[in-house]
Amino acid sequence: MAHYVAPKQGKLSQLFDVVVLMALTFGALYIPMFLGLAGGVKTVPEGAGQTWEAMGQNAAQIAQYNALGFTDPAAVSDIINARYDYSFSMTALLVMVVIIVAYYVLMLKFSETEYREVIAEKFDK
Amino acid sequence: MADFDIASKERDGMGPHGTNVGLLRVLGPAHVWALGVGIVLVGEYMGWNFAVGKGGAYAALVACWFAGILYTCVAMIDSEVTSTVAAAGGQYTQAKHIVGPLMAFNVGLYLVFAYTMLEAANAITAGYLISEVARLSGFEGTLDQRPFIILSIMFLAWLNYRGVLATLTFNLVITAIAFTAIIILFLSTTGIVGTSIMQHADLMSGSAALPYGWIGVLAAMHFGLWYYLGIEGTTQAAEEVRSPARALPFGTLAGIMTLLIAATLTWYVCTGLIPWEFLGDGLNGSVAPLFTAALLTNSQPLVWLLGVGTLFATLASANGCINDASRAWFSLGRDKYLPGWFGAVHPTFRTPYRSIVFLVPIALAFALKAPLDQVVTFSILSGLLNYTFMPLNMIMFRKKWPMGSITRGYEHPFHPLPSIVLLLLCAITFFAVFLGYGTQLVAMIAFYIVASLWFHFWRYRFVNRASQFTMPWPRPKGY
Amino acid sequence: MSIWNYAEYAAWALSAVFGLYMVIDWLKTDSTYSEEVLTSSREGELEAMTEAQGGHHG
Repeated sequence: MAHYVAPKQGKLSQLFDVVVLMALTFGALYIPMFLGLAGGVKTVPEGAGQTWEAMGQNAAQIAQYNALGFTDPAAVSDIINARYDYSFSMTALLVMVVIIVAYYVLMLKFSETEYREVIAEKFDK
Repeated sequence: MADFDIASKERDGMGPHGTNVGLLRVLGPAHVWALGVGIVLVGEYMGWNFAVGKGGAYAALVACWFAGILYTCVAMIDSEVTSTVAAAGGQYTQAKHIVGPLMAFNVGLYLVFAYTMLEAANAITAGYLISEVARLSGFEGTLDQRPFIILSIMFLAWLNYRGVLATLTFNLVITAIAFTAIIILFLSTTGIVGTSIMQHADLMSGSAALPYGWIGVLAAMHFGLWYYLGIEGTTQAAEEVRSPARALPFGTLAGIMTLLIAATLTWYVCTGLIPWEFLGDGLNGSVAPLFTAALLTNSQPLVWLLGVGTLFATLASANGCINDASRAWFSLGRDKYLPGWFGAVHPTFRTPYRSIVFLVPIALAFALKAPLDQVVTFSILSGLLNYTFMPLNMIMFRKKWPMGSITRGYEHPFHPLPSIVLLLLCAITFFAVFLGYGTQLVAMIAFYIVASLWFHFWRYRFVNRASQFTMPWPRPKGY
Repeated sequence: MSIWNYAEYAAWALSAVFGLYMVIDWLKTDSTYSEEVLTSSREGELEAMTEAQGGHHG
């Protein structure tokens, strides 16, 4: 097959490509944070206990907290009481599965086309 | 000869006029071990304990061992492919030869982001640690952490800039010290030397055993990866080791064994001393769990040892990350997947100096501006996408070049079992990430889809076709 | 001023030194050598060398 000759890229165009890629990167990290959608937050249930007994701590656990310098249970009550919420909707799970699978399928399909071209040019002499 | 064709049979692999400025082959297997373990060991010093918060102490142990299986598969698969594809770029170069250009571009980005984010997380931890030392030594005011964050990145970038041998020898020394610190802490607290102060039974009784039930075990897998994340980075050294076919499998497999030991010991010591709620809160509770454990021993030498160990582990990791991220970025540039300007090698130091310098401000931007758990999640997700690619890569590798058709430095046993197990564990981990950070996961994949389209329809035109395929292999079966 | 305040200044200063070293050396390197030499690294040189040893000189 015909030998593909890549065009030479100018300095300005190179710079532009880097800027595009960086904008995408920072966008992926910051957009969920700006929209307040970033997850992973623990919440303290309302009316949770503030004493060692109410927080279900046994003697050994209390001793370790004391050794760490926390003699007042109220100082660590937020750490002890906070819990994650693992409830989720089936729809959200399905959407995620579809997105991940679609991503890999898209990528493998495009890669395959490009790969065949590479192999043809390399080995068909 | 501006447009040099590497695919030409006459001058395969040689630069124009023979003026070849390439990376230097100076490393041995110990450096490979230091690069792999050095990046990862910080995971035992901080971060893994989020898994305890996600599901309790037992869940963290299950996650530790399942993630251990995941990474053993990763190490085996990686060792086989990389002992055959000995070029900088690691999985990127593997993908280019085995799956195809677009996959390779994505893998290259996974690598750069996983390592750059991890580097930022390390710098944040180093800054925090120094401010803690200042507080403990009686400093009244609030220490400005920024100069220390910047200094750790600048110093390590400078070290990387100056040459790979010194960089990884430095890593070997500080990684060995950090690993020894874990062993000494284990020996001196568990009754092997002196009396045992472990209280597993009391600290993990009742509702503290599995506070979230079994879903907590699944959720813990997300941060279970943190025990080992980065071991796959050994492959980035492929172009700089003296004997890749031998040193890479040896260094990688020795590395994963070291980490399995270190991870289990760390879990054992920490859960035997620290109540799970405190241990599992890596932001307000135990930021550096091994250091917290040392504080609970009431032994001043152990506190110092583990403090130094924590600092060394973060530095070793950031150092390895700069090394790996710049190798991956450099390889992308060399193939024109990214602007070719990045594909330059320093004539004296023989390092990819432009890539090293370019990634410094990016790492700084994340280290100074983004919160730690978001940075860590970005890193874990990029790693996870990379591990999902690996089994696909392996299956295609064995199919396109069956055993015996090319020389392999190492052949992993039980194929395709490790690939299938790896794929399964990746699926479980995706679910675990979904439980806590679903939005970030979707944002991340959206990013890679957009970047893929950009590459396929625009960027790929600057890439010469046949010259990407540089291994002296026969034509792949079925093509 | 406490020793930690001096440590802060020292960290800023050292960061600047390492940063400047890299930037100056980078600019010097770029102006001393031609782009063609700097970007002459090629993937797969080891493999090319092993092949060359078996047969002819590349």
